[in-house]
Amino acid sequence: MGGTIVKALDDLTLDVAEGEFVALVGTSGSGKSTLLNLIGGLDQPSAGSLEVRGRDLARMTRDELSLHRRNTVGMIFQSFNLVPSMTAVENIALSLMFAGVPRAERDQRASALLEAMGLGGRQRHRPKELSGGEQQRVAVARALANQPPLLLADEPTGNLDSRTSREIMDLIRTLNERDGKTIILVTHDAALASTYARRTVTLLDGHVISDTAAELERA
Amino acid sequence: MTFTDTLLLAFRNLRQSRLRTSLTTLGVAIGIASLAGMVSLGVGLQEQVVGRLTQSGVFDSITVTSGRANIPGLGGMGRGRAAGRGGQGGQGSTTPTTPAAPLDDAAVARFAALSHVRDAYPTLRIPMSYKYDGRTNAALAAGIPESSRGEGAFQSITHGTFFPDATGASVMLTLEMAQQLNADAPASLVGQTLELSYADSAPNAGGTPEFVAGVQVTRVSLPFTIVGIVERDPAPGANLGLSAVMIPLEQAKAINARAIANPQAFLQGAAPQTRRYTGVTVRVNSAANTQDVQDQIKAMGFTAFSLNDALQGAKRAFLLLDILLALVGSIALAVSSLGIVNTMVMSILERTREIGIMKAIGGSDRDVRGIFLVEAATIGLIGGVAGIVLGWGVGRLINIGANIYIERQGGTAGDLFSLPWWLILGAMAFALVVSLVAGSYPARRAARLDPIQALRHE
Repeated sequence: MGGTIVKALDDLTLDVAEGEFVALVGTSGSGKSTLLNLIGGLDQPSAGSLEVRGRDLARMTRDELSLHRRNTVGMIFQSFNLVPSMTAVENIALSLMFAGVPRAERDQRASALLEAMGLGGRQRHRPKELSGGEQQRVAVARALANQPPLLLADEPTGNLDSRTSREIMDLIRTLNERDGKTIILVTHDAALASTYARRTVTLLDGHVISDTAAELERA
Repeated sequence: MTFTDTLLLAFRNLRQSRLRTSLTTLGVAIGIASLAGMVSLGVGLQEQVVGRLTQSGVFDSITVTSGRANIPGLGGMGRGRAAGRGGQGGQGSTTPTTPAAPLDDAAVARFAALSHVRDAYPTLRIPMSYKYDGRTNAALAAGIPESSRGEGAFQSITHGTFFPDATGASVMLTLEMAQQLNADAPASLVGQTLELSYADSAPNAGGTPEFVAGVQVTRVSLPFTIVGIVERDPAPGANLGLSAVMIPLEQAKAINARAIANPQAFLQGAAPQTRRYTGVTVRVNSAANTQDVQDQIKAMGFTAFSLNDALQGAKRAFLLLDILLALVGSIALAVSSLGIVNTMVMSILERTREIGIMKAIGGSDRDVRGIFLVEAATIGLIGGVAGIVLGWGVGRLINIGANIYIERQGGTAGDLFSLPWWLILGAMAFALVVSLVAGSYPARRAARLDPIQALRHE
């Protein structure tokens, strides 16, 4: 924009193993969200490579990227990003719809996911009829719908009060510990990161300035 | 994503903005109505004119004359000449290759026996005198066959009726002729007697002696009852066979056998029984068979021509008219297609975030494009159906109004608008294609949206 090229990420190398719970921490503009969007396949790097499960996202076509978003990652956002006109079940079923799951099966799977999130009685409610915490639970259920191995959470508690934040973070931790999902959490809250994540990567101006995994190795 | 799911999402989106969807659909409906209405008018007019011409017998009738003489300026001439050349290696193309076959009752019977031939009868125009109210005048009396009943100029008879039977001494007049006899009340002539006379070749036929070309003949007078008065149809070519004085064909044949139509023939002493006709009219059951029958008659050694080529020309002219009307009608459709583009662009703007969500959870470009294309196509299809109903309704209303005016002006009412099935299907298909074309740009725009920017959109 304005002819100036802004490098959101530069000279950055990061490896995340399967089953890890990594927090990306940094101030706004540090590049943490950009990195998450790259991993999620919402954006592509202008240079370098980004491999997820052996496949380079930098070389993927638009169709391949959409398959990556559908099957490999599940994303959770600060603002929930639910379709306002759809009920809780419909929002979850939407991601199964893109995967070509037949109607009866996706309704049943969506209901089961809502049940598992403790929202059994909220199936026919639209997002604005749900509390923030409930909306985020629906969003988590939607992220899990296609059973991706990787869960990406971008400030998932940013719009929630502290009690609800803890509930959501507990849920995400359970998904990591019980179900073996790899979690990458973006947050500006270092305390939250250290409480839940087993590894914290701190970014500043597109560079990694600290990585608890490296510190452990050195220690 | 399956096609059913695409439909599901598209319909859901359309339902959510009901007012906008219905207004855009109404726009398409008006566009299709104007297009279908215009073409329907063109087709209706064509059916009126061509249909009337076809009914008039112009295109299903073949005029046969003896020999292979060329009749300049008429259809069929070129073919006749080509046949002559083919037979003679290009020399003396006007000379008949075979001796002229006699155009007599035997020939008429042969024509009538051909397949697709409805009727074959000699074209008789007999010079006669008529006497009415003390005045005597000359006129050509035409022999009208029974098969002309209810056809062409005889579809509607202004005053009176067609001949009550095929042989009776009845006569029909044109309105002009009737007005010459009685300018104030031509209709009052129906039922009156008109005395027609001809010059009989037999000197002792029981009439008044008279001299024709220096030979004594007898003028025989016969009383005819005026049964009908026929008005000329303003449509071109619709007056085939119409003559000032018209008598049943059988009467004409009987008189023709005795009358001196051609003093020279009379001087040469041709016997009435072997008298040849100057022309024979052959009526075919459908204009489509005219050419075929015409060729068969030529093969018999006669000259035959029809106005079939003129019909093809008229059809081409109407095709041009249809295209012109369709272009005018398309203007409204073009405007409404911009309405579709506008609606879709607005809808994408409103649903940018939703599109971002769909892409973030795995919707492909194709999925998103499909949803918007189906939305546009649905608007087009519903608009197409509504437009045809609307166009039909407006056409009906205009037709009723126009027919009231036409009848007040003394014309014959008819369907100015015609909506054949191909027009209905064509208009629907066109509505679909136009809406898909109009929707393709917005759909492509939606499909190419950057998910991150779309998710940030408020």
